[in-house]
Amino acid sequence: MFLAQQRHYSQQNKGKDSRNMETASTKAGVLSLLSLLEVQARSRRTQPQQQSRVKELKAKIEALKVQKQQLEAEIETHQNLQKLRSSLDKQCADEEDVEMEEVSENSQLLRLMARHTQLKDLLHAHHLIGGYDVIKTRQGKGVCVSLATAYEGVYLDTYNLEIDLKPTVKISRHNIPPFIPVNGLAEENDMQVNMRAFLDALSQHLNAFAGRKQQLKLLKEQHKSVEVMESNVLCSILVLMFKVPRAKTAVLCTLDYTDHSRCLPTRVHFECEDKQLSDSDQWKKNHSLLMETPVHKALTAMKNMGDIV
Amino acid sequence: MDDSARRLLQRIMRRIPAQMLKPTLDKWGRLTAAQRQSMDFTESKWALTEKLLAICEENEMTVKHITELEMIHVIENPDHCMWYALQLMDPEEDVHSVELTQFKEQFKSHLRELIRHVSIKIKKHTDEAVWIRIAWGDSFSRPNHLKPTYVVHHLQTPYVFVTSLTSKLKPLLSQALVLSTRYQAIKDASLSGRKLTAIRDLLMRQYQQVFPTKYPSPLAENDQNASNILINKEQAELAASRHQKAREAFGDGMLPQLQSAVYKLETKFRDHTNKTMTEREEAFRCVVKFASTNLLESLRHCASSGIASTPGTSLLSSIPLKGRNYFVITDNSPGPSSQTRQPSN
Repeated sequence: MFLAQQRHYSQQNKGKDSRNMETASTKAGVLSLLSLLEVQARSRRTQPQQQSRVKELKAKIEALKVQKQQLEAEIETHQNLQKLRSSLDKQCADEEDVEMEEVSENSQLLRLMARHTQLKDLLHAHHLIGGYDVIKTRQGKGVCVSLATAYEGVYLDTYNLEIDLKPTVKISRHNIPPFIPVNGLAEENDMQVNMRAFLDALSQHLNAFAGRKQQLKLLKEQHKSVEVMESNVLCSILVLMFKVPRAKTAVLCTLDYTDHSRCLPTRVHFECEDKQLSDSDQWKKNHSLLMETPVHKALTAMKNMGDIV
Repeated sequence: MDDSARRLLQRIMRRIPAQMLKPTLDKWGRLTAAQRQSMDFTESKWALTEKLLAICEENEMTVKHITELEMIHVIENPDHCMWYALQLMDPEEDVHSVELTQFKEQFKSHLRELIRHVSIKIKKHTDEAVWIRIAWGDSFSRPNHLKPTYVVHHLQTPYVFVTSLTSKLKPLLSQALVLSTRYQAIKDASLSGRKLTAIRDLLMRQYQQVFPTKYPSPLAENDQNASNILINKEQAELAASRHQKAREAFGDGMLPQLQSAVYKLETKFRDHTNKTMTEREEAFRCVVKFASTNLLESLRHCASSGIASTPGTSLLSSIPLKGRNYFVITDNSPGPSSQTRQPSN
């Protein structure tokens, strides 16, 4: 409150000692505030108290009247915007192309503003469903894209990219791990021209990686009897050792995820000393099970059928 | 057990700190239960070394077994040698299908082709890192186990970290690495330091980076709860914005403990008050070195406390951004340029 009063008085006495005031008010900080107070105390001593008080109050009334007018104009603009926005939303829903009634500058501006709010809401909705989110940085010269990843309804890591737009479109920094080929995807999808295709491809790769990583984590948690013989940082290869009940053999299962944009393997291979086992109908079913369902769920099904311990 | 094995064991025992002796020996697993019982870990290290030498003689251990012990110790404590980062360039088509067994076989065969007497040991650590210990010999002498080179590589990433390597042996190692990882070239990443974890985390971005976002994290509110509600901070907004910019430039939370940064200046001298120096045609060569127990933390603190103005100079924020701590600055380039630097021992 005290601070607000001081700032107000400084605006009031702008005429007096204006040079000192301006330099003091443009610098922020404790020292500048102290010098402001000092100047004020000095000026107060030289003026008659009563007159200045009346003048101050009159000026305050004027300032408040101007503020009231501004706020009224803002409310009116907002109301017009709301009307235009609802008509625009209806337009998009009905896919009609309504002719513009007035071509005046004001209405064009309002239409642009309505479209802007529509796009912002669309971006917000995209963010809520787990898609990527974009904000402006560096006063419009760059953007920061946040890509969320999720698997089976659980949010996992979020990755970010800062992209410069001027002078050329290029990625300035990101926190995507080095085994995801960001630059390769940018070139493939021609990031300069088609940013959306690049972001969609990148989001797909990241979500697939997050999905595979999550499957491995769940597998280790839920199936402690299955030994993970080999895995890698990209989660593109998985070698598991199954124990078959009743028989004394073990089955070595190799899952290759060569398509890095998918969560499911492209190849499943069983190795067993007992050749008959891997050729049996039951294990052929297990083969297709592992090709079509996430690995932790497939293992649960195989355990229930009694094929593995 | 021959002389070189004995010397190696003595050296390893000197390097392992007393409290780490028991766990390291247990992990090595080459002593029988009875032998383990007979080691009294309250004795002096010299006495223990003699005891261990006797046990190793009893078990007829060779240099090969002793190097296992050294490798276990170095993997647990990698922060005592100087590490240099290298980056593999221009991946081939099948770079992502390189898996461990293939890499091991390829690396060993390629290196053995290039140099006849060499001892290679490869081990995969739990965090997916592949550790390689190389003892170099030449056409006439057996591998020298007292001066081994350690190499750490994470498959599916283009980064390799090496310890001491002479300039004569570097091309051989580079060739073997390039061929076995299916890349086309390798270059110096201009990043070095004593703490392997620090340079690895910096290069592979394993620390918390901060990006501008519309949805600030809920942790930001914790700061407000900490301070006294009755105290209204004058410059709270400014301080918060400085903190945010510092975190965006250097990162949040625990930063990799980088200990030095070197800037080699090859720019012309510029000072109007000193005519004699400014008039010189050639560049004024100068090396600026920043050293600290935790360099990135101190730079971040400079920015967040207001000692340095934000946004900070790109020269300093290039350290985490580019993942390097050696820069050569010339007049032609506006920012730090890349240059190769030979790691020497």
